[in-house]
Amino acid sequence: MQDESAPPPYRPAFAAALGLFARASEDMKALGFLPPVLVGGAAVEFYSGSTISTGDFDIVTARQDQFEDILRKHGFVRPSGPGKATRGWIHPDLQLGFEVVSSSLLDGMADRDRIVMVRVGTDGFAAFVSLEDMVADRMGQYASGSAPDMLDQARTLYRLYSDADRAYMDARIRHETAGDYGIEALDG
Amino acid sequence: MESKRSMAERRIMTLEEFGRDVQRRRAALGGDIDMPRNSGKRRTASKRALLKAIEDAGGKW
Repeated sequence: MQDESAPPPYRPAFAAALGLFARASEDMKALGFLPPVLVGGAAVEFYSGSTISTGDFDIVTARQDQFEDILRKHGFVRPSGPGKATRGWIHPDLQLGFEVVSSSLLDGMADRDRIVMVRVGTDGFAAFVSLEDMVADRMGQYASGSAPDMLDQARTLYRLYSDADRAYMDARIRHETAGDYGIEALDG
Repeated sequence: MESKRSMAERRIMTLEEFGRDVQRRRAALGGDIDMPRNSGKRRTASKRALLKAIEDAGGKW
């Protein structure tokens, strides 16, 4: 039974952003396209409940043009002017940004069957890259040598999800790190 | 204490349910979760411009 006195699990701005993303996702599905998938910091906040997102939501969809048409209909605008060149879109009222960062989920290596779908109120469903793929992505960035902070993110996610698919996670980490690391690197 | 849901069970839930499960997981670890934010050193020019636009719009994340 839900504890009504408990604080909401996610900060209001984050939940509102997911609602907007869910509405846009439903519009994509209505057009016959696969729903876009959230990756990056927003996915880390979703899985951890930690305040990670900086308001820019990284999105994967093979149908960027159609998705961006939908974003426009939902009030998004593309910033313009000197020094404002970006592939992203902002929603001036909700003060957040959406950016399509790839047309394939982790270069096509992530298993779409593992995507997590959550229903966001009456807005529809939002899709997230799997926890296992998220950890592997963090490890890949860590292995590149330019993002040492990603190891701590990966380890923290791993601690939270002891029930994750370890075999799949290990295989994905090894792929993302070109064999330099496996799941044992998360036990440190 | 309510048991944690398996990943398979978690694939289709409401955001509220999912978040409550995350809260239980955090509590099971003592609530002391130190999740570092991205350092930002790897941000593309596009990403930096987007973050600036969000900030200019009044966003405080």
